[in-house]
Amino acid sequence: MDGARDEWGELMAAAQGGHGGAYRRLLGELRQWLTRYYARRLPPALVDDAVQDALIAIHEKRHTYDPARPFRPWLAAVARHKWIDRLRSMSRERTDALPADIAIGDHEGAVVSASVLRHLMATLKPAQAEAIRLVKLEGYSIEDASAATGQSGSLVKVNIHRGLKRLAAIVRGRGDDE
Amino acid sequence: MTSERLVEMLSARLTPVRVRRLSHDALLLAAIGAVELLLLLLLVGARPDLATAITRPFFWWKLAAMGVPTAIALTATLRSFDPTRSPRPGLRGAAIAVAVALALGWLLDATHRSGTTIAGRMQWHEGMRCMAWMAMLALPMIAALGALMRRSAPTDPAGTARAAGTAGAAWGAFVFAFACPHDDPLYVAIWYLAGCSLVAVAARWLLAPVARW
Repeated sequence: MDGARDEWGELMAAAQGGHGGAYRRLLGELRQWLTRYYARRLPPALVDDAVQDALIAIHEKRHTYDPARPFRPWLAAVARHKWIDRLRSMSRERTDALPADIAIGDHEGAVVSASVLRHLMATLKPAQAEAIRLVKLEGYSIEDASAATGQSGSLVKVNIHRGLKRLAAIVRGRGDDE
Repeated sequence: MTSERLVEMLSARLTPVRVRRLSHDALLLAAIGAVELLLLLLLVGARPDLATAITRPFFWWKLAAMGVPTAIALTATLRSFDPTRSPRPGLRGAAIAVAVALALGWLLDATHRSGTTIAGRMQWHEGMRCMAWMAMLALPMIAALGALMRRSAPTDPAGTARAAGTAGAAWGAFVFAFACPHDDPLYVAIWYLAGCSLVAVAARWLLAPVARW
């Protein structure tokens, strides 16, 4: 992994000098790395958008990478920053209820069991975790989530907002093991 | 658009970039600070009793009380422009420096107590004027930090904005200390602290959107 890291650093240094071939190769490899990174941290539907956000951020901020230092911590910091952004945006986005006739088989288990998200959700209060799971991950409306949990509609919204804010704070406060 | 297509697009429009160096940013800020201090001394003038003031501990205490937090907050701000660095330890350091400065000011005040009443020492009218000057003198540094922040990649936008606001506010007070004839620790503790706090809070809210990317 150290070899890969150094190689990425060299590729980025070449890209900073305007070497398009090195940059194409670097972004191609980073795209795969980012896909794995976000697949462990976000619901599947959000992974591709997060990867593209991160690639654009890497492109726009490539001058902030110092070739004298390791590349991997810089990459992880950018990826984590975009992950936190994504968690924050989940609390701002309006969630529309999915019609019953487009329902698909439940893949929650496959996603959640392998996901860091589940680990993070476990740190929330049960009411917050439940509200986020139902509305943000499973696409229920606020009203349906309210009926399912016994919380009022306002309380569901408050729990989602506070839960996502807490998730972002936890992510910011902990080291990145990627 | 697929991410493969995005990679192709980004690679195709690649242009060379100049790598950001902390030392370059620091030199730029030092130059701006030096010009500002020079302009203040040329256009407004140093305090008339400067020759006497530098022989007394109050003047040096005041300079250190503004200068040390400025240096710590500026360093924290510049370091946090790197996505791998957090401004939080520097912010804690600046807060500790302010607390130590206040404690030393209290000690100085206790050992050189004058007979003047507290109301007389406060000098409200002068205090408000000092605050306005400090806010005005903080603007160039805050603007410069904002411009540098825009080009950087802080991963804790709120913390970086707070550090930049603190640095700009403390710098404005540091520069003003050369023109302000008031060295009374109570006066400095009240008016300088209030002025710096107001500017730092305002700058934090103004700069936070600039720090996002």
